[in-house]
Amino acid sequence: MPQLFAVAYHQCRWNYRDDEDVAQVDSKFDEHDIPYDVLWLDIEHTDGKRYFTWDRMLFPHPEEMQRKLAAKGRHMVTIVDPHIKRDDSYFVHREATEKGYYVKDANGNDYDGWCWSGSSSYPDMLRPEVRSWWAEKFSTENYVGSTPSLYIWNDMNEPSVFNGPEVTMPRDAIHQGDAEHRELHNVYGYYFHMATAEGLVKRGDGRDRPFVLSRAVFAGSQRHGAIWTGDNSADWDHLRVSVPMILSLGLTGISFSGADVGGFFGNPEPELLVRWYQLGAYYPFFRGHAHHDTKRREPWLFGEKNTERMREAIRIRYMLLPYFYTLFREANTTGVPVARPLWMEFPSEEATFTNDEAFMIGNSLLVQGIYTEHAKRASVYLPGKESWYDLKTGTAYKGGKTHKLDVNEEGVPAFQRAGTIIPRKDRFRRSSTQMVNDPYTLVIALNSSQAAEGELYVDDGRSFEFQQGSYIHRRFVFADGKLTSLNLAPGHTQFSSECVIERIILQGLSTGQKSALVEPANQKAEIERGPLLLYSRQGPTVLTIRKPNVRIADNWVIKIF
Amino acid sequence: MKFKMSFIATVLCVLCVVSESIVRSAASSPQNQFLGIAPEDEKYYKSSEVIRCKDGSKKFSRAQLNDDFCDCADGTDEPGTSACPGGKFYCRNVGHTPLPLFSSRVNDGICDCCDGSDEYDGKVNCPNTCWEAGKVARDKLKKKIATYQEGVAIRNQEVEQAKVVMAKDEAELAKLQNDEKILKRLVEQLKERKEQIEKVEEKERLQKEKEEQEKKEAEEKANQGNGAEDQEKTKAEEEAKKDKSEDVENGSAEDKPTESQYDDNVGILEDSHSYQDTAEYHDDLASKDGHIHTPERKGSLVDGVQQEAVKQKKESVATSEPDFDGGSKVPHDEGNDASEKTESLSKEELGRLVASRWTGEDTTKESGEVDVTKDTDHVDHEELRKETHDEQSDGYASETDDDNQKYDDDEVEEEPDDDFGAEDHSDSGSSYKYESDTDSDLSDVTTSSNPSWLEKIQNTVRNILQAVNLFQTPVNQSEAASVRKEYDESSAKLSKIESRISSLTQKLKHDFGPDKEFYSFYGRCFESKQNKYVYKVCPYKQASQVEGHSTTRLGSWDKFEDSYKVMIFANGDKCWNGPDRSLKVRLRCGLKNEVADVDEPSRCEYVALLSTPAVCLEEKLKELQHKLDLMNKEQPQGHDEL
Repeated sequence: MPQLFAVAYHQCRWNYRDDEDVAQVDSKFDEHDIPYDVLWLDIEHTDGKRYFTWDRMLFPHPEEMQRKLAAKGRHMVTIVDPHIKRDDSYFVHREATEKGYYVKDANGNDYDGWCWSGSSSYPDMLRPEVRSWWAEKFSTENYVGSTPSLYIWNDMNEPSVFNGPEVTMPRDAIHQGDAEHRELHNVYGYYFHMATAEGLVKRGDGRDRPFVLSRAVFAGSQRHGAIWTGDNSADWDHLRVSVPMILSLGLTGISFSGADVGGFFGNPEPELLVRWYQLGAYYPFFRGHAHHDTKRREPWLFGEKNTERMREAIRIRYMLLPYFYTLFREANTTGVPVARPLWMEFPSEEATFTNDEAFMIGNSLLVQGIYTEHAKRASVYLPGKESWYDLKTGTAYKGGKTHKLDVNEEGVPAFQRAGTIIPRKDRFRRSSTQMVNDPYTLVIALNSSQAAEGELYVDDGRSFEFQQGSYIHRRFVFADGKLTSLNLAPGHTQFSSECVIERIILQGLSTGQKSALVEPANQKAEIERGPLLLYSRQGPTVLTIRKPNVRIADNWVIKIF
Repeated sequence: MKFKMSFIATVLCVLCVVSESIVRSAASSPQNQFLGIAPEDEKYYKSSEVIRCKDGSKKFSRAQLNDDFCDCADGTDEPGTSACPGGKFYCRNVGHTPLPLFSSRVNDGICDCCDGSDEYDGKVNCPNTCWEAGKVARDKLKKKIATYQEGVAIRNQEVEQAKVVMAKDEAELAKLQNDEKILKRLVEQLKERKEQIEKVEEKERLQKEKEEQEKKEAEEKANQGNGAEDQEKTKAEEEAKKDKSEDVENGSAEDKPTESQYDDNVGILEDSHSYQDTAEYHDDLASKDGHIHTPERKGSLVDGVQQEAVKQKKESVATSEPDFDGGSKVPHDEGNDASEKTESLSKEELGRLVASRWTGEDTTKESGEVDVTKDTDHVDHEELRKETHDEQSDGYASETDDDNQKYDDDEVEEEPDDDFGAEDHSDSGSSYKYESDTDSDLSDVTTSSNPSWLEKIQNTVRNILQAVNLFQTPVNQSEAASVRKEYDESSAKLSKIESRISSLTQKLKHDFGPDKEFYSFYGRCFESKQNKYVYKVCPYKQASQVEGHSTTRLGSWDKFEDSYKVMIFANGDKCWNGPDRSLKVRLRCGLKNEVADVDEPSRCEYVALLSTPAVCLEEKLKELQHKLDLMNKEQPQGHDEL
């Protein structure tokens, strides 16, 4: 289960050069009122690619830098790769050599391969004692310059060896128990990911959920953190292919995945970048990233209009955070992925089987990417018998057919399935951290029988307490003109929240109900027309129950009449 | 009864669970119903019980104002809460400056307003720091105003001076153009006369040769049989012939009209260089002044120009060297198809080759240069250079905070305007020394002594032309010499005038700003030392990054942008795998011309900050003063700033 912040937006670049650069990028997000949660540092932050160290010229005060971010509820991620620079003055190398922790070559010597750090060796992550030694490296004492708000990125953990066969370790390299690399190549990165995640758990005395992004992946990687699809390019085709990649990962159990928004290599045209943000906002893992040689591409660098579009894309993600977090909980308990191919929700519809340009987020939201330049129209197949409500216009479309829709640059098509209830938070903050106490909006899209269902899962967003049942889990059921909040959490839950629902949006209501009664408080709430989207000034108005102000932690019923 | 029951239930509920939520929801709506409203808007909210959303979308009741629920998408109804994402919260910040906040900052647990008014839900306690912060801000603003006041004065002076100097430049140009016309005619006349003399001389020479030939033939007949002597003689003759043919070559070169010869050379220069080179050429001429007066010097003058051209070409190669440099630094066994060759690569080379997939560097040619550290070539260069040049750069670079910085000697020699650039701008008397320098350079052509040099020449030429008798044979040698001398001197002067005209024209063509406030930037360079680099910003010319003896061009002068607040240098040395380097210099009001904060936010796209009085604008000063007045007015009673 990821921390809440990890589900929000991540800002990365190879490389944010120094602490001043970090401060500047951070303040620009605020200046443009664009939320973000995590700022990432790539390999250049280290002292000569010696992981766990800092280039002190560029980052003289890493703790202070992290504290400044943390003061705004933001986090930092630094990169830690498995290639250890063969430098006797580097403590990690010294220890690994002394303890004999490196993978051996066929002759029994420490295997020496070439990677970012030059001549490097690789800890044998298959050995439990090596993993626990590695994990210790992440304690705030051992990782000098780290603070509890720092999390980790594992790259090159396949392992990448630039001068090895197929850019990896020779097959006859020797691991624990004389096992040859050929036998366990595919799990090396998995174990590395695992050891790093364990390190973060240990660092937080078992109270802080780890966040580790890994490139290498194996069955079970979902237990250790997120995966990204590797070094893509700023091409429309790479935007398109990101969807089937993420869906496939999801089907293998790896829910928490995403592609680099904008494309790693090359400079995206502003239109492509905007489209990527609009689609990427629905990736389970949502991170903007860029190669060293590319131009800066932070969301405010492409003119007011494009800034507006990217801001909106990112805000949609923040608005949907309660829904995403609920889906992550579902993935955590059942393995059902957050991003799903259409056929998973509509297995009886053949038309969905080959569609990998649209996908479902949970069972309620269908997203159609736009993968071509200057697109004016898009064909969108909306499956099922029920209607779909356009997320931004509120317009209803019939299910079971392909719609030719006009598209503009303001967003990619996304629809809420009739019969579902999506929990949102409509207030934007600097980061998800400040949203914790903000009230909720429920968006109810009624189906043809005037019914809908949805869930909301909330916990403290960071600890493992949820494993002891400390969480709020509600099922919202709308039927017979009544919205009921049912408890799905165990009775002994220690977790509570003062959060209330400030707004309930009703779509597809057939009769002209005027007011609502909240029970058991027996309070009346008005039904009026209100904006569908608060951030959009030209947006449509929809039927809204104004200020029911029911707590998400409580059982209640709202009758409309 | 039913009502009563549910009422009791409500009360119970309040007592047991909901109590906190009630407290909270009370806290989420501000106690002051008009919180977050700017003073100028208060009337809008207070004038009636039903208020219209500013975007006209709907109306809301007074009770809905700041009730922590967003009714107007534009945020009109929630100026004091975070309910509408589109809203703005107005911090009064009495004692400091009022501040409009995004409503997303209200009750988010972070103190944004110095008066703490944005956090009122009781979750954090924000002390009022406006007085202290305001004092700091006011002091800062006062300092800024003081800078502006002085800066505006300096700027006005500079603008005045620029007007004077520019007028002077323009007058000089007009005069030179006039002189050029006259001188050109004189040179034409002299040339004509010289050619006539040479024709006569040639005739005489041929006659003489013929006579000698006849004489020789007669002697040969007499001396037949003496082989050794003969051989030597033949050799001597051959040498004589060779000399002659050289004479002919020189002669034929001299036969050409001098202007065109000069033009050709200038053409060479201009092909590869911009106007500065012409200026340098001009300077070069000036420095060779002494020689130019001697007639024999003419050939070498041309040589000198050509040498100069070659030298400059070399320099331009040297400048762009770093790019090639990196590539060639470490030789690498070639292989066009990298994948085929990988087996023959060393371990390290293979590593670098694969790394290049990320770095994008061309390892087939450049693998030696690829840094495994995923660095850019730029950084590689830095490192490579560091190794090579560390010592030099340490000794070489000097602190450049001082505006009066002298540039390295070569540069001073090459740039005629440099002395001017090195003058302290505030010393108005001498800051335009450039002009008098030029005067001394061209003193023989520009000083208007009586009679003027031009009149003198005109007289001399008239005298010569009258004196030389073309029909007298043999040619009077002293007369011929004086024609040649006068011709050489006059055409040299013409060249100088022409190059001066060209440099003045080039100079005056530039955009010096609406008040010509940037006129004094012409020919100046501003330097900043950052770590191992010295950045040189030379407006109207180019910008470069110097490390030791290696120079990387960050760009050539392009233009001003953003209403003269930014200088653009474009098309610098190409970046490996990246764009051509470029530099954007932001201008900021300051009393001295100083470059600071050179940065490279995107690869090979540099930015820098230049403080200069040239952008200390009067309007901005007024704006700042107004701001200070407002801040002082907002002060709470009882505090005395002084």
